[in-house]
This record gives sequence, structure tokens and C-alpha cells, in this order.
Amino acid sequence: MGSGEEFEPRIVAFLCNWCTYTGADLAGVSRMQYPPNVRPIRVMCSGSVDPMYILKALLDGADGVLVGGCHPGDCHYVSGNYKARRRLAVLGAILDEFGIGRDRVWFRFISASEGALFANTVRDMTAALKALGPNPARALWLA
Amino acid sequence: MKDLLIASGQDGREKALSRFLAKLLEVGAVDGLVVPVEAAAGVITHVLAKDPRLVERAGRPLAPVMPSSAATVVSEIVRKRPSGRVAALLRPCEARALVELIKLKQATPENVVAISMDCAGTYDPVLYREAGGNVDGLEAREACRVCLNPAPLEDALPGMVLGLIGLDDCEDVVVSVHERLDPAVAAVVEELGLASGEDAGRRRKASVQALVQERQRAYDRFIEDARRKAVSAGSGPTVRDVSGVSDRFGLEAFARELAACTGCHNCRVACPVCYCKECVFDTDTFEYEAGQFLRKAGRKGALKMPSETVLYHLTRMNHMSLSCVGCGQCEQACPAHLPLFRLFAMASRRTQEVFGYVPGMSLDDKLPFSTFREQELEPR
Repeated sequence: MGSGEEFEPRIVAFLCNWCTYTGADLAGVSRMQYPPNVRPIRVMCSGSVDPMYILKALLDGADGVLVGGCHPGDCHYVSGNYKARRRLAVLGAILDEFGIGRDRVWFRFISASEGALFANTVRDMTAALKALGPNPARALWLA
Repeated sequence: MKDLLIASGQDGREKALSRFLAKLLEVGAVDGLVVPVEAAAGVITHVLAKDPRLVERAGRPLAPVMPSSAATVVSEIVRKRPSGRVAALLRPCEARALVELIKLKQATPENVVAISMDCAGTYDPVLYREAGGNVDGLEAREACRVCLNPAPLEDALPGMVLGLIGLDDCEDVVVSVHERLDPAVAAVVEELGLASGEDAGRRRKASVQALVQERQRAYDRFIEDARRKAVSAGSGPTVRDVSGVSDRFGLEAFARELAACTGCHNCRVACPVCYCKECVFDTDTFEYEAGQFLRKAGRKGALKMPSETVLYHLTRMNHMSLSCVGCGQCEQACPAHLPLFRLFAMASRRTQEVFGYVPGMSLDDKLPFSTFREQELEPR
């Protein structure tokens, strides 16, 4: 990032195969415009996203991590999204306690038919991360 | 609960306790007994005892050290349901860790006879060994000084509780027998014809209450102090200065606390509740190629080696802090003397609060990660 250029946050997105990934696909085929700051990773379920993956992305310098899962009651595996919500709550509590930046981790329920919601979420998150500034972990050799 | 008294006799309460435990083996009430013994002056280790004479001779039920958590030891023995009855002498934190291991399906509660005991705190086993078992001038471990559970939770693992708090060293020991204690063991205790310990039991209860209050104050001070340390950690050497990035932020302070980590994973081995057969940090997941290391080092200016140590500790907090009983085994096992107890105490206090979960309290409380509610934790 050279000086004078606007900071473009990098978002790593773990998207559930059945809902949010398909929703992101719908945003694409519907030609909705949204910031190109997101790097999607398709996972089979938001419940399969170990907090370790999120931490790994953050420590390696991702400016934000988005986890997208099905709406409550809609999980393809019945309860993966509820379990994800619990794991993310624990991750958030730990990040909060040490002041490491809970606000860089977003967890959203976005269904396969909500392409616009996906596009809006990425737009909102990009704006929020721009306001937050670059993730200091990116240049931290200690972690 | 029924309170009885073990008379301390002439050679002291520890010998009396050893004889009591040996008796359980001798009459066949239990088939094995997990108990600390003294192998050499100041060298304490757990054994699975079969021979009552060994327990009588070398048993150190009150040894003020915890070489490893008895919960780990018991889990190793009863991972599958044992054919015989195994009794185990457990400190409160060990009993609570065992409850968590049972819930994590790493130990079977059937055929385990829990003999929990009051704990006055433990010393670092290495210092204790070097002092030849003489505790003069030694300070109890930090985890013990702020421990909120010096007395066992009676209903968590129904068995026996050996009460010591509030009764001075040469006094008798209160044995509280739970209604749900294995009938065969209860019958043996009955046959010993112990005197009633109701009076001493009442005195103990009052002392336990007072001690818990005192510990609560110590714990509150400790947490306050820990959080102050975490936020006030100043700026350290940053190899590369990125404009607009403050060098005073949480992660950096946190990472500096852990900077001396050698990646030995002893904390995980010693942790009674960290249970995976194969830890992801022992797999080739984090074995990168040279190019990957170089790219990452290039981005950060340098890369702390061994790498991924901060990720490792944060991951362990995410996986295990809900079941953390605060025994401090992680810190005791750390060759670099990292403040692991302090950091885990901070994390687990917060995460357990999220679900109002108290690890080791009850076999019936579901592990928070094994269940969920339709409506909770919103907004995310």
C-alpha cells in the first residue's frame, strides 16, 4: 500500500456451501455491484469453521473475517449455524478480553436467495474496516 | 452427606489417612487406588496402587504438590469402563477436571470411586523436590493462592469428601460420605466404626465459607491486576513501522507476553481437559515450505520462530477455556515460565460467563459447545 492510496481492506470470508456461498453466487449472476475486497472460501457449514481458521487469517494480517451461514432453522446439517454462533461468541469474548479486535470478525446469516444482502454485507463490512484501519497484526512479527 | 471422623492417632493425620485408604484396598472394597506417593525425598508421583502395604508405607495423600492432574491419570486408567472399581484421591480442581473429562467422554464415571479432599494449595514440584520436601520459605503456586474452590463440590462426583479445612494439623479428618457412594464402599466405611464427625463437620463448613470469601477477594484483586497488565503493556520493538498503525495495541501486548514460547506444547500435555488424541498443532498443517515462511517474514519484516505460537495459545483458549478449572498445570509445565495461568484465567472467566457455565460443577450441565438455544447471543 503506497502512501496516498486509499486503504483497501482484505476480507477473508468463510461461506457455507448451502446458503451464503450460494447467496454470494446469486449476487454475482445478478450482476450486483459490491466491493472486490472479499476473498471467499467455501466451507460445507458455518459450524465447521474452527476459530483457529479465523485467528490464523487475522494473525496473518487479514483486515476482517466474515463467516456466513444459514438462517436459524435452515442449517443443512440441522444445527451447525447455532454451534457456530456459540463458537463465535467464545472467540469474541477472548478477543475482547485481550483487546485484539472482535470488531474485525463478523458472523452473518445470509440465505441462498439473499444475494442483495450478501452484497450489502460486504459493502458495510468494507466501509467499517476502512474506518477501523489496517489490521496491525499484518506487520507484527511477534505473532 | 454423613460426617464421620478419622482419628489422627499418634503418627499424624497423613498416616491415619493412608491407613484409611489402604483399608479400602485391603478389604477389597476397591480394586485399585490412585494416590500420590513419595518416591524419594520431595519426589511425589501418582500411582495406581494395588498393594495396601505400599499405600500405608509410602502414601502421601496430603503431599502439597500436584505433579500432574489426577484427572489425567484417572482418565488414562478408565477411558473405557474398568472391570473393577477404581478409587481416586482428588483435589478439588482434579475432581472438577475429571467431571469435564467424563462429559468429554474421556473417562467413564461408572466404577470410579471419587475420594475428593480439601486442598490447602500446592507448591511447584521442582522447588519442592529441590527443598527435599521442606516447604519452609516456599510460596504456594499462584493458581492455588487465588483458587475459589479449596473444598470439593460435594455433588459433582458422589463419593467421599475428606475435610481438612478449619481443623488443625494434628486434628482428625472429617469424612463426609455421600448418599450415592457405591454401596460396597459405604459398607466398608460403615464397618470401620468411625466416630461421628458432625461437630467437626460444622466447624469445617464455617471455615470453608470464610476461606472462600477470602479467596474471592484475592481472585478479584488478581483479575484486576491481570487486566491492568494486559492493557498497559507499553510499546516494544517493532521491526517495521507502518504509518498509521499504533504500536500500542492489544495483540502486541498479548504476543509479547507469549514471546518466549518455545512451542514445546507441554502446557497442552499437562492440561487435564485438553484431550484430543492428535492435536492439530502436531500435524503437518503448519509445516510450511521455505517460500511461505519467507513471504510471511517479508510481510511482517521478521517472523518469530518457532512460528504460530500465538495462534496455538489462542486456539487452545478457544477450544478449552470453557472447561478450564484453573488448576494452573499449564503454567507449572511451562519451561519458559510463561504466565499461562493468568492468561487462561482471564480468557476462561470471560468465556464461561457467556454461558453461565461452571466447569466441574455437575455431570448434568451440558458442555456449552455440545448444545445450543434457538434464541441466544444476539446481536452477534
